[in-house]
Amino acid sequence: MTSDLARARRAPALPRMLGRIRPRPRWLEFRLFLLVAVALATGSLSLGATVTGRFEFSGAAGLGIYVGALFAAHAAQVLAGRRTDQIILPTVGMLGGISLLLMQRLPQDLVTQTFFGTTFGLAQVQLVWLLGALIVATTLGIVVRSDRWLRRYKYTWAAAGVGLLLLTFVFGTEINGQRLTLQLGPLSGQPTELLKVILVVFLAGYLSENRALLVEQDTRVGPLRLPPLPYLAPMVAMWAIALGIVVIQRDLGAALLFFGVFLALLYVATGRVSLVIIGFVLFLLGSALMAILFEHIRTRIDIWLDPFADPLGAGFQVVQALHAFARGGLVGVGLGAGLPQIAGHPPIPEVHTDFPLAALGEELGVVGVVAILGLYLVVVERGLRIGAAAADDFRSLLAVGLALVIGVQAFIIAAGNLRVLPLTGVTLPFISYGGSSLLANALVVGILLALSDKGVEAPPPPRVGSRWRRVGRRSAA
Amino acid sequence: MDGFLLVLWAVRLLFLGLIYVFLARVIRALLRDLRAAAREPVDRPGRLVVLESPSGEPPAGHSFGLDVITPLGRDVNNAIVIDDPFASAEHAVLTFRGRSWYIEDLDSKNGSYVNGRPVDGVAALGFGDELQIGQVRMRLERALR
Repeated sequence: MTSDLARARRAPALPRMLGRIRPRPRWLEFRLFLLVAVALATGSLSLGATVTGRFEFSGAAGLGIYVGALFAAHAAQVLAGRRTDQIILPTVGMLGGISLLLMQRLPQDLVTQTFFGTTFGLAQVQLVWLLGALIVATTLGIVVRSDRWLRRYKYTWAAAGVGLLLLTFVFGTEINGQRLTLQLGPLSGQPTELLKVILVVFLAGYLSENRALLVEQDTRVGPLRLPPLPYLAPMVAMWAIALGIVVIQRDLGAALLFFGVFLALLYVATGRVSLVIIGFVLFLLGSALMAILFEHIRTRIDIWLDPFADPLGAGFQVVQALHAFARGGLVGVGLGAGLPQIAGHPPIPEVHTDFPLAALGEELGVVGVVAILGLYLVVVERGLRIGAAAADDFRSLLAVGLALVIGVQAFIIAAGNLRVLPLTGVTLPFISYGGSSLLANALVVGILLALSDKGVEAPPPPRVGSRWRRVGRRSAA
Repeated sequence: MDGFLLVLWAVRLLFLGLIYVFLARVIRALLRDLRAAAREPVDRPGRLVVLESPSGEPPAGHSFGLDVITPLGRDVNNAIVIDDPFASAEHAVLTFRGRSWYIEDLDSKNGSYVNGRPVDGVAALGFGDELQIGQVRMRLERALR
C-alpha cells in the first residue's frame, strides 16, 4: 500500500464507469425487495377488488414495471460490486410503491400531461418520476466514489443554490399565490427541493472545516457562551439568505425545514444544547413577529388553532383531512374504499401533493400510518449510522444532514396533515406526487448510498495543508 | 357476496401485515448491524494514518490506534516513535479530551503543523486533519468500525 495520499491524488474526481465487473451478492437487499413486491401485489389486489368487485390486480402493468425496475436496480448494484447499504433502497422502494398504489387509486385527472399526442394520467406520470428517481439514486450509489466535488466547491454550491432561488423569484410562475415553480420549456420544477440538498452540502462542508474552532472558543454574551461569532457569520448569512427568500416566496414549509436541519447539524457538529435552545427561542420570536407582520402567516396559524371556525372556507382542507383520518380508524376502510367523491373530486384539495398521508390514513388507518412513519424512521436511522461510521467529519455531517432532511420534511408535512403543526406546503418524501420532490430525494438517497460504501476512497487531505505545501515547495525550488 | 367481503377484508389486513413484516425484517437487520458494531471494541478514540515518511520510521501507510494520551517524538519511549532528523526527542502529545482531539507541542525545535499551520502551544484537531512533525505527515482518522 502506497500512502493514502498518493491514492487520493491519483483517484479521478469521477470514477471509471466500466472497470472490471466483480459482482457481489446482496442477499439482504434481494429478500427485502421480494417482500416489497409481495406487499405491493397484495395492495394492488386489495385495491382492484374494492374498485371492481372481482379479485383482480389494479394497475398491474404499472406496478409490474415498478417492481421490475426495483430488481433492475438491485441487479445493477450486484454487478457494480460495491459494499453499499442494503436497507435504504428497499425501504424507499416500499414508500414509492405505496405512493404508486395511492396515485392509481386517486382520480387520474388530478394531473394530466400530454406527450406526443398521448395523455398520461396521475399514476402514469408518477410512475415515470419514480423510475427516474430510482435511476438517479442507483446511478449515484454506483458511480460516486469521491466526495471531492461536494467537499471542495461548497461556496460554489451555495452560490448556485441562492442563484436558483433568485431565478425562481424573478422568472418563476405563480401557482396559488406562491411563486415556487420554475419552468424550462415543458419541464417545471420547484428549486427549493434542490436547495435543501445544497444547503446540507454547504453546512457539512463549513462545519467540518471549522468544527474545532466552533467547539473550542467562546464568545461570552452576558451569561451565554456562544461559539466565536466570526465563524458563525457565513453560516448564518447563508441561512438568512435562504430563509429570507423563502419567506418572501411564502414557502413556509421549506423555511421550517431549512431551519430544523440547520439547528440539528449545528448540534451534531458542536454538541452544544445551548445553541439549539437559542435557535429555537429565536425561531419562536421570529414566527411571532412574522405572524404579526404578514397576513398569510396569521391565516395559517388561525386555521391551525381552530379549523372549524371556517370549515367551508379557509379551514376546508384541514377539516376534510381530519375527517379522513377519523373515517380511517384503526385499520382503515381499505385501499380504494375511502374518499367518497364530491362532484367527481376527492374532498381534500391537493390530496396528491399536500395530503397523501390523510388519504393513506383513511384507507390504511392508524396502523398503516404508523408503519409509513416507521419506514421514514428507518431511513433516518440508516443515515445516522452511515454518519457514525464515516471516516471524517465532512462525511459524517453530510450523511446525518441528508437523512435529517428527509426525516424533518416527513415530520413537518405529517404533523401538518394531523394538525400537530400549522399546515405548510412541503411534500411527503417519496409518496407525494411531484417530479422535483422525487428527484431531489433520490439525490439524497444516492449520496447516502455512495457514502455508505465501506471500500470507498479515503477522504482527500485538507485544503489548507495542500495550499501550504505548494507554497513551501515553490520556495524550496 | 359475504364470502367476497370476508376475503377482501383478509387481503386488506394482509397488505398491512406485509408492510409490518417488511418493517420487522428491516429492524432485525438494523439491530444485527448495531449489535455487531457494539461488539467490536472501540476502545480507541481514533487512529493516526502515516501519509508520508521519508525516513521509513514510522512506515508510510501505517495506521496507529491512538490512546487518550499519545506522546510522539524521536525518543524510543514515545508511543509513536518518529525517527526523523527534524523531530525532537519529545516532540508533541496528542490528547483526547471530552469530545475532541488536541495536539500539544512540547517546545520542539522545529514545531508541529496542523494542516500546514504551525501549532502555537495547544491546537484542536478534527478527524481528517493533517498533522506534520518533522518531515512526517499523518492524518487523524476515526477508529475503524
